[in-house]
Amino acid sequence: MESGELISADSDDAAVLARVREGDRDAYADLVRRHAPMAVRTAYSLGAGSDAEDVVQEAFVKAYDALDRFREGAPFRPWLLRIVANETRNLHRGVGRRADRERSAWRRTEPLLAGGALDDPAAAAISHERRAEVVRGLAELSEAQRQVVTCRYLLDLDEAETATVLGWPRGTVKSRLHRALRRLAQVLADPATEQAPAGGHAAEVGHEA
Amino acid sequence: MRRDMNSDAYDVLVADLEALGRGLPGPGSDSGLTLAVMDRLSRAPAAVSTPRLLSERVASAFARRRRQVAVAAAALLVALVAAPPVRAAVADWFGFAGVVVRQGESPRPNDAPPSPTLGTATDLDEARELFAFEPALPEVLGPPQAVEVSADRRVLSMRWTDAAAGAVRLDQFDGRLDYTFAKQAPGVEFTAVKGDFALWFDEPHEVVVLAPDGTRRTETARLAGHTLIWEHADGSTLRLEGDLTKARALEIADSVPTASP
Repeated sequence: MESGELISADSDDAAVLARVREGDRDAYADLVRRHAPMAVRTAYSLGAGSDAEDVVQEAFVKAYDALDRFREGAPFRPWLLRIVANETRNLHRGVGRRADRERSAWRRTEPLLAGGALDDPAAAAISHERRAEVVRGLAELSEAQRQVVTCRYLLDLDEAETATVLGWPRGTVKSRLHRALRRLAQVLADPATEQAPAGGHAAEVGHEA
Repeated sequence: MRRDMNSDAYDVLVADLEALGRGLPGPGSDSGLTLAVMDRLSRAPAAVSTPRLLSERVASAFARRRRQVAVAAAALLVALVAAPPVRAAVADWFGFAGVVVRQGESPRPNDAPPSPTLGTATDLDEARELFAFEPALPEVLGPPQAVEVSADRRVLSMRWTDAAAGAVRLDQFDGRLDYTFAKQAPGVEFTAVKGDFALWFDEPHEVVVLAPDGTRRTETARLAGHTLIWEHADGSTLRLEGDLTKARALEIADSVPTASP
């Protein structure tokens, strides 16, 4: 996305938000309509699976209830997507240990990425083999690395948005992204490293909040 | 093994990741999700208003549409006045009746317009079955020479040969749902069809048919000539395109019967 689109979209959001704050609840429908596609894609990409639309519905309701805590003038989209990300995480709360929760999230996302939307013209931009290869590479990343790659590239958020959505400092986004890409490139360049114990992997988990 | 890739290889990797992300599904139906959210808000303890009858909600939705158009018009006016030409690259988007317009640079003049991608050729009777709206037929043009419904049935396209303007094309689509067309134009002009807000594009501009989730389908980008866009009384949006003068375009638009037969 170009910055111009974002600037304009943000100011549109601000105008609608002002109306919602003044008591025009119906105006909120504009925000839902505008951000639903991205919110649903975010939920799918972070592991909501078939619950994605329910998660997004819940996130929009929670966002509405929390509007008085939303800082005026801040961009709405990353704030909303952070709620979506939290709701997606909550889906897996019942699953025992963290490692299991992370696996269960990735299990829901992996087939979506491996398959791709069949009728999507963008799917043609990447061959089946390469798609499978990149998905295999993503599976080799730590959950934190996968999340940062997902937000920054799969969802095409900028660095600041990624930081907001994941709730990390900007510097953490930068460094994890760097390590994730390097790891991904290594795995893709040399399939043998897939089996090797990943030093960066373990370190990442240790840093996770 | 530490093997840093060169930046080209990273670019390829990033492009592949982005392509992977574009394959992620969006909502099954945007309006369904919106309705579900608004329904839940209306059942929650009312912060601002009590739950209302559906008919009231529909009435207010119509009122809101008018406001949206007014807001869009105001936003564009501001953009036109405030944006110096050097800022043209900082695009200003606004939406109107299923069309999102971006004030951007003019397409390069040597860009040859590729022929528009169209669905199966059909006739008016079949179009009535395939398409959600009654086809809007400008009386001054007579029966269309060609009728096409897009493969996803979202757009009905008709063609005529006008004595003055040559080939004329009319696209019709649901303006109440999501954006169907995106346009990038150096300038637009406000006008009115039957007293309602309409847009006139006098210069060649890029037009893109959007996927249902609002993403750009770049392969559908093409150049469009003079174009008039207005809202039809039945909730569909009409888009008239051809080598038209503004006066002729308005004349054609005014001749579309308001009430569907």
